Amino acid sequence: MHGLFRWSSKWWPGTIPLAVLWAIAAWTSTGPLESDLAARTTAALKDTVLDKSRVTVAGRDVTFAADAFSEEGRRSAVASVEAVPGVRLVNDETRLVPEAKPFVWSAERDVVRVTLSGSSPLPASKGKLLEAARAALGGVEVVDQMNLSRGAPPRFDNAALLLLDQVGKLKDGKITISDTKVSLSGMARDLGGREAIAAALKNLPEGFSVAANEIKAPPYIFQAYKDPVAVTLTLTGYVPDNSVHAAIVAAAARKFFSEKVVDNLKASVGAPSGFAAAVVPALGALSRLSTGTLVVSDREVKLSGDALYETAPAQIRSNLVKDFQQGWQLKAEISVKPAAAPVDATVCQQLFSELLGKATIRFVSGRANLDPDSAGLLDRLIETALRCPTANIEIGGHTDGDGENAFNQTLSEKRAQAVMEYLVKAGLPAGRFTAIGYGSTQPVATNDSDEGKAQNRRIEFVVKE
Amino acid sequence: MTYLATFHWGWLLASLLLGFAMGWIAVVHRGQAVSKPLARGLAVLVAALVAAALARVVPGRPGYWLDLGLIMFALYLAGCAVGSWLRDRVLSGHAKAA
Repeated sequence: MHGLFRWSSKWWPGTIPLAVLWAIAAWTSTGPLESDLAARTTAALKDTVLDKSRVTVAGRDVTFAADAFSEEGRRSAVASVEAVPGVRLVNDETRLVPEAKPFVWSAERDVVRVTLSGSSPLPASKGKLLEAARAALGGVEVVDQMNLSRGAPPRFDNAALLLLDQVGKLKDGKITISDTKVSLSGMARDLGGREAIAAALKNLPEGFSVAANEIKAPPYIFQAYKDPVAVTLTLTGYVPDNSVHAAIVAAAARKFFSEKVVDNLKASVGAPSGFAAAVVPALGALSRLSTGTLVVSDREVKLSGDALYETAPAQIRSNLVKDFQQGWQLKAEISVKPAAAPVDATVCQQLFSELLGKATIRFVSGRANLDPDSAGLLDRLIETALRCPTANIEIGGHTDGDGENAFNQTLSEKRAQAVMEYLVKAGLPAGRFTAIGYGSTQPVATNDSDEGKAQNRRIEFVVKE
Repeated sequence: MTYLATFHWGWLLASLLLGFAMGWIAVVHRGQAVSKPLARGLAVLVAALVAAALARVVPGRPGYWLDLGLIMFALYLAGCAVGSWLRDRVLSGHAKAA
């Protein structure tokens, strides 16, 4: 032992090459050592859930900064860094992700993109939401402006995923979750979209509730265009269901006696209440125009076109408003078609016969009240009567052979009278007309069949020189 | 420590061999010896450095360099001790034989 002390006093010269060795070792090994430790630390943190994780190594000291989502998560992350072999000191710069109060998340859609913003609970849920948004909105750009925060309500992911599905049904709008309250605003993409969204909201996870649903439906549009050149009536847009569809097409066929009805209607939910009750009279009004367009948008009825004579526009307007239920509005832009050239009495008679050959003036069964379906035909008869202002016209009423003769006689007289009154109300001088009832005395077909009887029930216009 | 040993075994082995060689020479060396007070002073210095390393008061890279230096120095000393002891054994064996 004594020898060792003696010898050790002579060991010092070796420290000079040792110092050189040490300097070289320090010079060459520091970089590789630091990157090796950084790699090991990162590997140790692979399975921990952290945001903005940053590892810097100086010598064997690791500075570890990260946002953790819970206190245990934070502590276990620091512990796993400390456990990395070779790490001497850990400078702990971790903190908890800020807590959002209230926890607000929103998805906003405009024409070209969907923006997700607000808070998202975990990186995994954020990724899931983005993926779901891309899947639900195929082709639409998805912009991510979400932060990560603590304080999400339970089952947040499920609620947000359900709402992302609804964003696909919007044309534009915004859906927001604030804690457990859901609010929606905007415009649905299709008719029925609003109802579909409302139905889907019933499946929100437990604890969530709808604070405000201000999704608007796109306007419910029904259009009818009367084309005098092609002699067609084109119906486009929506009807509530098949029975209303059939009723509207049948009414159009009755009211437009010479036009072919082109039916391009589609059934869809979302019709305003009183739809059929407004559309059928509006079609009647359109039938009185020589050319015109009817647009029903929600509860607004727009009618534009040319009426056949001076007093018609005011009559059409007031009749239509009378038929409307409360809440419905009429915007009528009706002008009067320039009067056609006058013709002599023979041509007039020919025109009357042509018109009445295509259709007959209808009455309420067994009574002398004019059927509104005949308004279009009557207007054309009036237009014709205006073209031969000097001719006197006999309006003859005829019935079928059913029932008492006396009743038929009276009925035919009253019906002829009703037609005459209608013409006078339109501005024609009463002196030009005589209303005569013929009862069933002048049948034009057999009274043994329904078709024959229908032909016998008629009003005839006879021009007297 | 285990980590440093596996990462730097080459340098540590070099220190050990250097110490062994120095220890081997030191037994028969006629050069100047370190005086007692100076040796004591150096021992105090090394103890202070060891204390600093154990207490981890030197941060970052200098801290790592200190650790590395102390380990190399420790192995150097160990090498010296073994070298000197072996040389002494060899020499005394010769002496007996003579």
